[in-house]
Amino acid sequence: MSTLSALLKREGLMQALVLAGLALVWEASSRAGWVHPFLLPPLSDVLVRLFTDMQSGAVFVDLGLTLYRALTGFVIAAVLAVPLGILMARKRGVQWFFDPLISIGFPMPKIAFVPIFILWFDIYDTSKVIMITFSCFFPIVTATYSGTSHIDKWPLWSARSLGASENQLLREIILPLAAPSILTGLQIALPVGMITTIVTEMLMGGSGVGGAMIAAGRFADSVGVFAGIMEIAILGMVVIRALDRLRARLLVWHPENRAH
Amino acid sequence: MTADFGIKIEGVSHAYGGGQSGLASGTLALKQTDLLIGHHEFHALLGPSGCGKSTLLYLIGGFIPVQTGSISTQKGPVTAPGPDRSIVFQNFALFPWKTVLENVMYGLQKKGLPEAECREIAQAHIKLVQLGGFEQAYPSQLSGGMQQRAAIARTLAVDPDILLMDEPFGALDAQTRRVMQEELRMIWKKRPKTVVFVTHDVHEAVFLADRISIMSARPGRIEHQIDTGLGPERDESTLTDRRFVELGEQIWRLVREQAVLASRGGL
Repeated sequence: MSTLSALLKREGLMQALVLAGLALVWEASSRAGWVHPFLLPPLSDVLVRLFTDMQSGAVFVDLGLTLYRALTGFVIAAVLAVPLGILMARKRGVQWFFDPLISIGFPMPKIAFVPIFILWFDIYDTSKVIMITFSCFFPIVTATYSGTSHIDKWPLWSARSLGASENQLLREIILPLAAPSILTGLQIALPVGMITTIVTEMLMGGSGVGGAMIAAGRFADSVGVFAGIMEIAILGMVVIRALDRLRARLLVWHPENRAH
Repeated sequence: MTADFGIKIEGVSHAYGGGQSGLASGTLALKQTDLLIGHHEFHALLGPSGCGKSTLLYLIGGFIPVQTGSISTQKGPVTAPGPDRSIVFQNFALFPWKTVLENVMYGLQKKGLPEAECREIAQAHIKLVQLGGFEQAYPSQLSGGMQQRAAIARTLAVDPDILLMDEPFGALDAQTRRVMQEELRMIWKKRPKTVVFVTHDVHEAVFLADRISIMSARPGRIEHQIDTGLGPERDESTLTDRRFVELGEQIWRLVREQAVLASRGGL
């Protein structure tokens, strides 16, 4: 066991070294003049910019706005899509009505709806959040529906024979049994939501990391653009890690978390 | 005497896949089945695979609707599942996100008992099936035998009038199976209930049951009924009892007949 953890630690160290090596190549290539610093500004300049923006607080305003939009859209999508997915799997009528709509909507590039949403909802937060909800909705409803349809009848029958009503069955048995699939749907939807947030911010403007990057681009501020890329990378990593943690915590009972 | 029965099954037929499924006519699983099971009788349903013994059990449980005929208990005709007829499945069907204690408490909570009482009753039943110390374990952390003990505790805890068992020991290894059989019989003696035990293991049926119904090949019917007459005590010595050995052979011949018919029917 201790050798395994030592190995894992070593592997983590190796991965960190690889990243550090790449960062070094980045720094060196623009410092040495292999690449024009306007096309690829040195990493150190980007980090300095990030640091000064953090001191002024500008980064946190942009990150906060982006995170607020992304999470609001994502949560609204989850609140709508999870119950709908479960109902589709349990009620024939609901499935009959929604299945064709979802089949059409799922493969569609949701971002193509941006002009329509701008037309309908203007360019402010409402419009962005609706766009994010719209693009997160499909992966969640599809995963929930498929996960709920594949539940074994045995635990359901057990619960019924222990006295559970139809409604209790939905909340107390079906929801937790479908939880692994639902969480997978959420894990697919979250990066989709992050991407949609950045793109809508770029298209509609109004601060946020995406908006700030477009603004930096307009002023030929390539360091600013790369700082934006770094912010997105860090923000994305943090929220996705957080969701992974949430999954591990909610599914402590699941064999997937039997690592010890 | 009129009310002194556990389960009354009259003229029950059951077809699968008929109606809208596109088949011209469904597969007939049960045909005109009659069976009277006594109050607090341990009754085994024995037969070749596909003879409809599980179907009959699910009908008694109320999990699938009765199409023709009628099934009734002391509580009246069976229409839906309920805690008066609780079931144990071959694959345990525990709630994997709940601990052993929470699994056993579930049915008690559905009865609306106060939390402390649920906990107390659940704990007593966990002890009864000898799972003391594993209250906080999740099902995936337990062996198959322990999972089935938990499932039995969960079912017994709601104190059903009728205990339905669908090949409950089918997924266990031979030794565990033997131990579980002895323990089930012991538990049943402590808490007498009407038991319907589905199995295709002849010796399991003879060892456990007071009465055995042998079902015919599909479409299933009750072909023979046999009183084991082995008395209430069953233990290691039962296995070498002359009557046990003879019954085993006699019943094996009857089941084999049906199994041969079933395999010919399949050709």
